Amino acid sequence: MAKPTVAPVMRQGKFVPWLYLLPAIIVMSIFILYPMINTVNLSFQNASGTASAETTCREGQACWGAFENYRYALTNELNTSSAKAFWNSFWVSSYGNMVKWLVGMVSGTVIIGLLFAVWVDGIKSEALAKSIIFMPMAISFVGAGVIWKFVYNYGTSQVQTGILNAIISAFGGDPVAFLSKVPLNTFMLIIVGTWMWTGFCMTLLSAAIKSIPEEIIEASRIDGATDYKIFTKIQVPIIMPTIIVVITTMVINVLKLFDIVYVMTGGNYGTNVLATRMYTEMYANSQYGRGTAIAVILILFIVPFIIMNIRRFIKEEAMR
Amino acid sequence: MKHFRKSYIITAVLLVLALVLGACTKPAPTKPVEPLATEEPKVQEPVKEDPVVGDIDCTGVKEGDAVSMLYQWSGEEEAKLTAILTPWMEACKTTVNPESSRDQALLDTRVQAGTPPDIAFWNVPQLTQYKDKLVPMDTLGANKANYAGYWGDIGTIDGKWLGLPVKADPKTLVWYSPAAFTAAGYTVPTTWAELDALVEKMAADGNVAWSLGMESGDATGWTGTDFIQDILLVTKGPDFVSSIIAGDIPYNDPAVKEAYEIYGKWAMDAKYTVAGAEGTLSTGFNDAILKVFSDTPEAFMVKQSGFASGTLLGTYPDKVYGKDYDFFGVPGAQGLQGGSDWLMVFNDTPAVRSLVKYLSSNKGGETWATIGFDLTPNAAGNAFYATEEMMKKAELLSSATGFTPDIGDSIPGGFGSAEFKGITDYVNGGDLDAILDSIAAAQADAMNQ
Repeated sequence: MAKPTVAPVMRQGKFVPWLYLLPAIIVMSIFILYPMINTVNLSFQNASGTASAETTCREGQACWGAFENYRYALTNELNTSSAKAFWNSFWVSSYGNMVKWLVGMVSGTVIIGLLFAVWVDGIKSEALAKSIIFMPMAISFVGAGVIWKFVYNYGTSQVQTGILNAIISAFGGDPVAFLSKVPLNTFMLIIVGTWMWTGFCMTLLSAAIKSIPEEIIEASRIDGATDYKIFTKIQVPIIMPTIIVVITTMVINVLKLFDIVYVMTGGNYGTNVLATRMYTEMYANSQYGRGTAIAVILILFIVPFIIMNIRRFIKEEAMR
Repeated sequence: MKHFRKSYIITAVLLVLALVLGACTKPAPTKPVEPLATEEPKVQEPVKEDPVVGDIDCTGVKEGDAVSMLYQWSGEEEAKLTAILTPWMEACKTTVNPESSRDQALLDTRVQAGTPPDIAFWNVPQLTQYKDKLVPMDTLGANKANYAGYWGDIGTIDGKWLGLPVKADPKTLVWYSPAAFTAAGYTVPTTWAELDALVEKMAADGNVAWSLGMESGDATGWTGTDFIQDILLVTKGPDFVSSIIAGDIPYNDPAVKEAYEIYGKWAMDAKYTVAGAEGTLSTGFNDAILKVFSDTPEAFMVKQSGFASGTLLGTYPDKVYGKDYDFFGVPGAQGLQGGSDWLMVFNDTPAVRSLVKYLSSNKGGETWATIGFDLTPNAAGNAFYATEEMMKKAELLSSATGFTPDIGDSIPGGFGSAEFKGITDYVNGGDLDAILDSIAAAQADAMNQ
C-alpha cells in the first residue's frame, strides 16, 4: 500500500494516537493484562501463593522445581507404570477427553451443520427448519445439562424416568447407565454439546452458501453436474474460508468447555476436561498454584487458534 | 442490524441484573443480629451473697460482663445456641457478643493479631493449631466427669486439655424399616459378623440388602468414603483413623485396601446393592435413602448420617419412627465418625469460667439436650432429649469408645476430592492399588504443606 499523503496540519505526532487508545488500554490492563500476569505468577507458587512451587516438592518424588505445578497439571492423571496403563489412563484423563471432545464435537457440529445448511437451502419451510435446529442455542448450558441429565437418567427400579432408558426397556433391553459407563459417557456428553452448537455452525454456513452467486450453480448444472458434485466441487470450496472460521471458533469453544461436564457428571467417571479440573483445583481444593497452572496450559492450547482466527479476520478485512 | 444491537444491549442489561441479584442472595451476613447483646442494662440489683444461682455457678462474675464469641452457626442453629446460653445469661446477668462466620480465616486473623474472641466454637484441628494460645479447661474449672474418656483424649493436645466438646452429630448409622425387617424375618445385627451374615442371608433370599447410591454432583463419592471410614472403625478402630488424618499411616495401607474390598464387594454387585456398580454410581444419595422406604422398597438398609430421617419424612411424611423407619449404629464399630464442635478459650475471665462451668455442668448438658441442638457430648444430657430418635442417638454416642472426624474433611488441599474420585473410580472398575496410591499421594502432599 502506498503511503497516503496527508496535509501537515492533519498529521498526528507519535503521542496522540496513544491518547485515543488510552481508555481501551486502561480497561484491557485492568481486566485482561493484570489477571493474566497474576495467573502466570500464581502458577509458579504454592497452594496459597505464599512461596515458590518448588517448596511443595516431596522427597523421593519427581520434581520440576518452579514448574512443579505444571508437572502436577500435566502428569498427575497419567499412570506411567507401563505403556498399557499409560494408554488407558490417558484416555480417561482431561487431555484424552479433550481430544475426544475436539474430534467429536467439532466434526459433529460442522459436518451436521453444513449438511443441514445445504439440505434445507431453498426448501419451503427453510426458516422453520433452521429455527428448530438453532433453538438449543437459546438454552443455557446449565439448562441443557439438566435437560439431558433427565434424558440419560438411569433408574434402578422397574420404571425408567429417563426417556432413552424408557425406550430401551420398552423394547426389552437392559437400561444403560449412560453417564457413568466409560468410555460411553464422554460421547453421550459430546452429543449434548453437538446438539447445542450445530445450529450456530449451520447459521454461519448457510449464510455463506447463500452468498454463492446463483450463476455459478446454474452454469454447473448446465454442464451436467449432479447435486453431489455441486456440493463437493463448487459449494464447499467456495465457502472454505467460512468453514475454517467456524472450525477454529468451535475448537476454541470446545477447549473452554466446562458447563456440560460440570452439570452432568461433575467431572466424575473419567469425564474430566481441563476447565472442570481447573475449577476443582481452584475452588474445591484451594490449590491456587495448580489451578492457575492448568489455566495457563489451557490458554497455551487456545492461543494458536485465536491467532488463526484473527489472521483470517484481518485478511478478510483487507479484501473489502 | 439495529434491532440486533438492541437485543444485545437488553441481554447484557439482564445479565448484569442477574449478577447483581445473585450477589444480593449471598448467604447470611457475617455479623448477625445480636439478639441479647444489645439489651438495655438492667436496674441495679442488690449484690448476691451466694454466687451460685440455681444450678449455675457465677463466681466472680460482675453484672453486665460480656463474653465475645465466634462460631460458624447462623439462623436456626444460632437461635438454638442462644436459647442454650440464655439460662446462664439470666442467672449471672451477663451478655454475649457473638459473631457468626464460616470463614476460618477470620478467626486466624484475629488470633494472629492478638485480638481473639474470648471463646470460639470451632473444630478439632483448631485445637492443635492454636494450642499455644488456648487456656486449658482444667484452669477454667470444666467438669471433666461429664464426658466420656475419649472426648478428653481428643481435646488434649501435648498433655493439656484445651477443648470442651459441645456438640456432636454421629454418621455411623444404618437406617432400615423395622416393619420390613419383621415381615421378612430379619433381626438387627449387633456385630459385624452378624451384619455380614444378614447381608448374605438377604442375598440368598433374593433380597437386596443395601442402597449405596453415591451420586452427589461434583462431590460424588462421599457416601462411599463415609462407609469406608466406618469399616475402618470396625476393623481397626478410631486410633487408626486418627493416624490416617495425622498422616502417620499412609492411605494405601493394607487395612484401607481391605476396607475398600469389603465395601466394593457390596457396592459393585447387584446381588447386594440396588442395581450393582451402575446403581451405586448413578443413584443420588437422597434417592438412595428413599429407595429403602418407598412403597415398593428396593433395598433393606441404607448407611447414612442423621439427616436421613429428615429426607425420608420430606417425601413420606406419614412414616412413623420406630415402626416405618429406625436406625442402628454400624455394628462392631469401635467408635463413631461424625462432626463435632468444640469450645476453646482464648481469654481467661470470670465470665468465661462461669460459662465453661455451666456448659460442662449437669444443668448445661440438660439444657443443651432439651433444646436439642444435635447431641451434646455432655453425658448429663442423655435423659433429656425431646424425641426417641435423639435419645437413641445419644445412647449410641455415650456408649461409644471413640469419635473421629471425617477423614476427607480433616486433611486439607486436594485430599478430599482425591478420595471421592478414588472411590468413584474404584466402583467403576478402576485398579484399586493405583487408586489408593494416588489418594496416598494427595495425603502426603497435604502433610508436606
